[in-house]
Amino acid sequence: MKGGAAPAISAAEVRRLRIVIVLVVLAAWELVARSGLLYRDVVPALPTIARALYALLAGGEFYWHLGVTAGEVAAGMTIGGIGGLAVGLLLGANRFLSEAFERFLYYLGPTPKIIFFPIMIMWFGVGVSSKIAMGALSCFFPVALSTAAGMRQIDRVLIRVGHSFRANAWQMATKVYLPAMRHPVINGVRLGLGVAIIGTLLAETKLSNRGVGFLVIQAYSLFDMPRMYAMLIVLFVVAIGVNALVGRLGGLDAIKRP
Amino acid sequence: MAIAPEPAGRPDTAPAAQAPLLVVEDIVKRFATPDGELIAVDHVSFDVKPGEFVGVIGPSGCGKSTLFNIIGGLLDDYEGTVRVAGERVRGPHPAIGMIFQEESTFPWRSVIDNVAFPLEIAGMGRRERHERARHFVKLVGLDGFERRYPAQLSGGMRQRVSMARTLASEPKILLMDEPFASLDEQTRLLLGDKVLQIQQQLAQTTLLITHNITEAVQLADRILVMTYRPGRIKRVVDIALPRPRSSQIVSSEAFGRHVAQIWSDLREEASLGLQDEDSAYGRERRA
Repeated sequence: MKGGAAPAISAAEVRRLRIVIVLVVLAAWELVARSGLLYRDVVPALPTIARALYALLAGGEFYWHLGVTAGEVAAGMTIGGIGGLAVGLLLGANRFLSEAFERFLYYLGPTPKIIFFPIMIMWFGVGVSSKIAMGALSCFFPVALSTAAGMRQIDRVLIRVGHSFRANAWQMATKVYLPAMRHPVINGVRLGLGVAIIGTLLAETKLSNRGVGFLVIQAYSLFDMPRMYAMLIVLFVVAIGVNALVGRLGGLDAIKRP
Repeated sequence: MAIAPEPAGRPDTAPAAQAPLLVVEDIVKRFATPDGELIAVDHVSFDVKPGEFVGVIGPSGCGKSTLFNIIGGLLDDYEGTVRVAGERVRGPHPAIGMIFQEESTFPWRSVIDNVAFPLEIAGMGRRERHERARHFVKLVGLDGFERRYPAQLSGGMRQRVSMARTLASEPKILLMDEPFASLDEQTRLLLGDKVLQIQQQLAQTTLLITHNITEAVQLADRILVMTYRPGRIKRVVDIALPRPRSSQIVSSEAFGRHVAQIWSDLREEASLGLQDEDSAYGRERRA
């Protein structure tokens, strides 16, 4: 139950201000594009971008590449997410293991995973597999770390309540542990999804022949800036949509449910 | 009114007209600490007869919560035995229902699902367990709040949810560890009334662990006064106040006498605890 403390802020006003911010940014962009201060092709006018966006969405090619990227991210998320959850549960449950291993996770976690890409290419080749590996590697760390932390943060008394009613191991896991740590786990999945998308796209821009990352870098090397911006806009919207979806799936507002 | 002084450690409990429901025999619990071995519970023995309300009172650090966890089967690695209805307690026993001191409702479950939890664990179907749970929600006076979540309730209401949840498992003996510790005095007295009413209605055998003298005298038939470290039973006090009782009894003269008597026993122990705390604090400051 957040908010409530500052009733003076009206939601409608905040929304209005947000729209104004977007409009100002767009207007500034258009102004710069028309001023001729910058090379016209680097900062194309908004209608040019809009036309490119339309062309992008009207053609079928882009969707195929988007599908490839989505598939890679989904596979990477599944592998890295399940791995992260399993390792996180193990570290959260076992103090000894967490003392020994968690330090490494903390060091490796913030390391930009792209430096592992050459290794991934050697192990998995230049195709889709190495992109999936990058996604999995990226999302593994935030999921593992927040699962481990979430498990340790569980109110001990809830565990004692479960035991006192003689819940078995499966019941303890599904009816006490997992619901009690759902917030940190969902948070980890959310962070993991973000970095998995980054990792996958980044890998696609390096060495590949498919995926949105590849399209972006292709547009760049052909100096087709309007098309490149159009793709960035689509990526931006997709990322927002996915994030909103994960947040909703998490049932973050279960407590507030009347 | 019988306030019989007992030799420390081995109180001679009343002659068994009925077979006791709970028998605690010679419990010793040691903890290893950096300063050496700490004996938290030292040869504690007592029993609780069916329908009886027994209070265990002692200063902070006298090992009463340890005793609670041992009887509840949440702690092993101790000496002595705990028997409930003739059966040796090894791990949580279905005849024992525990109510914890801490906030212990599941925040992701509604009131009704919280109360139905033990029934769900026992494998009861949804419809049946909700029906049963509704009865206990009503018993603690929370009808109308079934669909609410703990975050939408007051502390006292949440503690009643915990109580209903434990009662729903229909324990033969109710084990409470300072269930009102986090509540203010007025709520505590009123909840005490609720406990008395439920206890009388269900003829519920109850063991209450507390450091609150008023609470213990208000509720219990018999009070075991514990010493500070190592935790032994210092004295057993029979509370000869009439039943049914309510919180109004706190203003009676007999009540005051009992409270004074128990305080004179506890005073010494509590000040020992205070000294220990002071010296520990001094150590910390020097370090």
